[in-house]
Order: sequence, then C-alpha cells, then structure tokens
Amino acid sequence: MIKEINLDGIYLPPLLGYLAGAAVLWYVLRYLLNRLGVYRFVWHPPLFNTALYVMLLSAFVAATL
Amino acid sequence: MQQASSWIRVLVTVVVVAAAGVAGWYLWRTYEESPWTRDGRVRVNIVMVAPDVAGAVTDLRVKDNQSVRIGDTLFTVDPARYRLALAQAEAVLAGAKSVLEQRQEEQLRRERLSSASISEEALNQARTATLSAQASYDQAEAALGVAKLNLARTDVRSPVNGHVTNLLVHRGDYATAGRPMVALVDGDSFYVAGYFEETKLRHIQIGDRVSIRLMAYGAPLTGHVDSVARAITDRDNALGNDLIANVNPTFSWVRLAQRIPVRIAIDDIPKGIVLSAGMTATVVVTDPDDSNRIKPPVR
Repeated sequence: MIKEINLDGIYLPPLLGYLAGAAVLWYVLRYLLNRLGVYRFVWHPPLFNTALYVMLLSAFVAATL
Repeated sequence: MQQASSWIRVLVTVVVVAAAGVAGWYLWRTYEESPWTRDGRVRVNIVMVAPDVAGAVTDLRVKDNQSVRIGDTLFTVDPARYRLALAQAEAVLAGAKSVLEQRQEEQLRRERLSSASISEEALNQARTATLSAQASYDQAEAALGVAKLNLARTDVRSPVNGHVTNLLVHRGDYATAGRPMVALVDGDSFYVAGYFEETKLRHIQIGDRVSIRLMAYGAPLTGHVDSVARAITDRDNALGNDLIANVNPTFSWVRLAQRIPVRIAIDDIPKGIVLSAGMTATVVVTDPDDSNRIKPPVR
C-alpha cells in the first residue's frame, strides 16, 4: 500500500521509493540476463534496458499499490 | 559471444520497448490518477465558549488539555452582582404582588356596589387599574426569571464532550458577555479533510472506503467519503473596487491542479491512536473488494 518515505523527518513522495526499489531489481536482472546471454538477442541494449526499467517500475507499482 | 540474426534482435527489442510503453502508460495512470493524496489533515469542530454574563472569573475549574463532559462547569463568573439582582427582582415582584392584590380588592368592592352609588366610569377605572397591576406583576415575574437565569449563567458549562485546549483564562480575568474565553475541542466531531487534486475527483464516489495513514502512527484508520466541498476560492478573481471583478491577467504557464477538500468520516480508530486536529494524514481511497489496494481509476 502506498506510503510516504521518511528520510529523517523529510517526507518524500512514494514514487521515489518505487524508483529506487525498481533500480535495485533492475541491476540484479541485468546481471542475470547478461549471465544467461540474453543480450545476444538484443539489437540496442541501452534502449532494451530502459524499457526493462520502465516495466520493472510498473510491475513494482502494480504489485504494491 | 555469438550474435543472433539481425531481425530477431530488432524484433525482441521492439517488442520489449512496446511492452514498456504499455506498462509506462499503466504506471502513469495508476500513479497519477489513483485517488489518493498526501495532503490530508485531521480536523475537528472547535467550540468557542463565551460567558453569557459579565464579571470577574472567580473560580476556574478546568486545566489546559483537560477532558470535559457536557454540562461540566468550566469556570464561574463572580455571582455577587447577580445574587443582588435576584434579590432586587424578588423585592420588585413582592411589591407588584401587593399592588395587584390591593387593586383586585378595590375592584371587587366596587363591583358589589349598586349602579346608584358608583359611576360606570369609576368602575371601569378600577377594572383598568387591576389589569395594569396584573401587567406590572407579570413583568416583575419575568424580570425575576431573567435574574435567576443570569445567576445560573454565572456557571459557564461545557456544551460538548471533548477537551479544553490552549486555555488562556486565569482566575481574576474579567469575562465580557459574548466574548469567547475558552476553546473546546468537540471530541465527537473528528474528521479528516483530504485535499484532492481536481483531476482525481472523478474517481471518488460518496461512500467510498478510505484508508487514512497518519504521519504520527503506523496503523491506518478506516473511514469513508462523506462529501466533497462544492466551492473553493477563485484566486484569479479577487473582488475589486466598486464590486467589480478583478481578473488577474497573468496566466502561468506552469500551473497546478486546484485542490478540493473531500470530507472523510472516520469509522474506526485503532487502539492507542490519539487524534489531534491538525495532524498530517495520507488519504487513500481503497478498492471496495480489497481494502489493502488503492481504488483503480475509472475510465
């Protein structure tokens, strides 16, 4: 459920937390995809990675909202 | 590492990017349009108690932040003057009563006389004198009632169940009739105002379940949407001179949605939570089927 982030008395919008959480998952996922050799099937890795991040973020928000 | 054929690589990338577009659209809608706001406040009705009679405060019965029930005495205004006024009114009433009795006796005596021994005019005068004395008596009786009421009103009582707040009255202060002296928090009237952006209002229905998270406590309160405010001030149209509209000609490029107060009635307060008006709350309109989920935006 949506909740503000408290950074030592400074309250931040929940989206910031989702962005950070998705970033961590993103790094892990990229490492795994690299190990599995998925990038052999990718034409434009930075574009692919950005799309991956957006999807992760959406999934994260959808799962917790 | 061996590369796959070119068109497969392009296809995979395009499919993933398209999926990300859809996901991003969903994300935007969910996050930006879901009915929730961080801009919520706990609110309460404040009753400003004013004494009905003037005088020095002789007895202060409450402390700051003390809880009070309906009818509890808050403070007492010096009753000496009002006791004297009561005694005066009683004396006036006694005088009016004796005059009335005298007039009634006179009238009775004259009524018994034959028409030969008393003129019609004198008889009428006696009757009128009785009526006038009766009116004076009634007036004195009403004045006695007022004196009693004034004396009773020297005890200033609480009209609500709740708490005293920011008590600034001291023993000896002079209380002026009608000037508020004590602010009482009506403990039965707590509610939450959620200031929702106008763009989110169409996703909110009266009666929707609401989860309220206070900044101060972990456990959420539950409530429902009671009503939506039907007016806020138009900041671009302050009333000008001569009752003429004064429209602001500067129109900002970057602008924000107006926020409309939505009144949330509190249904359940978890144990241990003490509400104070002014607390910050995050207000989330929840899904009717699952109170842990946010209500999805309508199409």
